Amino acid sequence: MSAATHETEHHTSLGVDNRKLLMWIFLASECLFFGSLLSTYLIFKGESLSGPGTDIFAFEITSISTFVLLMSSLSMVLAVYGAQHGQLGLMKLMLLITILLGLTFLGFQVYEFKTFASEGLTLSTNQFGASFFVLTGTHGCHVGVGVIYLTSLLISSVRRNGIGKETPLYIDIGGLYWHFVDIVWIVLFTVVYLIPAY
Amino acid sequence: MAEMDAVHDAHNEHPTTTIREYLLIGLVLSVITAIELVMSLYTTALGAILIPGLLIFSAIKFIIVVAMFMHLKFDSIRFTQIFAFGFVLAASLLTAVVVLFGIDASDAIGGGFIGDPIEHHD
Repeated sequence: MSAATHETEHHTSLGVDNRKLLMWIFLASECLFFGSLLSTYLIFKGESLSGPGTDIFAFEITSISTFVLLMSSLSMVLAVYGAQHGQLGLMKLMLLITILLGLTFLGFQVYEFKTFASEGLTLSTNQFGASFFVLTGTHGCHVGVGVIYLTSLLISSVRRNGIGKETPLYIDIGGLYWHFVDIVWIVLFTVVYLIPAY
Repeated sequence: MAEMDAVHDAHNEHPTTTIREYLLIGLVLSVITAIELVMSLYTTALGAILIPGLLIFSAIKFIIVVAMFMHLKFDSIRFTQIFAFGFVLAASLLTAVVVLFGIDASDAIGGGFIGDPIEHHD
C-alpha cells in the first residue's frame, strides 16, 4: 500500500471512505434518473404521428463517438492508475486525453443534433424527438459536467507540484463519475441506436 | 479492532491490474462494440437473436467497465450492494413502465386488452 493511502485513511463505521461512498450513492440514484428517461423514450419512440422517426439515425457516426467514449474510459482508468502508483506524468497526460476525448464526444453529439434539426427533428417536432433529445441531451450534459470536473482535477494537480495526500482518492472518485457516464452510454447506444423498433 | 483494521486495509489496497491488462480490456471493449455494429447491419439475417444478442453484448461491456474500470471487483462489497440496489430498482422501473404503457393502444382495444365494448341488451 502506498504512503499516500495510509495518510488518507480515516475510520468509519462502514470501513469505507465517506466521500467514495457518497459518490456510489449518487451514481445509484443516477441509475433511476436515466432509467426513467430511457423508459419514457421507449414508450414514445413509436408513437409519433408526424415528423421523422428512428429511421433518421446514422449510427456510423454514433459508433465512432461510442468508441471515443470507451477509449476515454480507458484513459481515465490509466489516470487513476498513475495517481495510485505515484506516476504524476502519466496521471496528468491521461487526464488530459480523457478531457479531449470527452470534448470530442460532445462535438459528435452537437453535430448529430444539428444534422437531425436540419432534417426536421427537433425537441418540439414529435414525442419521439422530445424524448430522444431529453435522454441523449441529459447524457451529454453529464459528459459536459464530467469534462469540467476532470479539468478542475487536472488544473489542481498542475498547480500542485507532485501528488498530494488525497489526489489518488479524488482522481478515483472523478473516475467513478466518468465511467458511470460511459456505462450509461453503453446502454443508450444499444437500446436507442442499435436495436431497431421493437 | 484488529479485524476492523484488516478490513479497512483490504478496502484501501489498489487493484493489482497492470497497464497491459487495462489496454487488453480496452481492446476487448472495442471488439465487442465492433461486433455489435456488425450485428446491427444484418438485422434481417439475425432475426430473433438480434435483440437478445445485442443486449447480452451490452451487458458484458457494462459488467467489464463496472468490475474492472470502476474497481468494484476489488473494492468494498458495500459499494457493489449500493450500486446494485440502484441499478436493479432502475431496471425494475424501466420494465414496469414499458410493460404498462408500451402496449399499443389499438392492439389493446382490438386484442381485448381493454376488453370488448360492453354490449347492452335492452
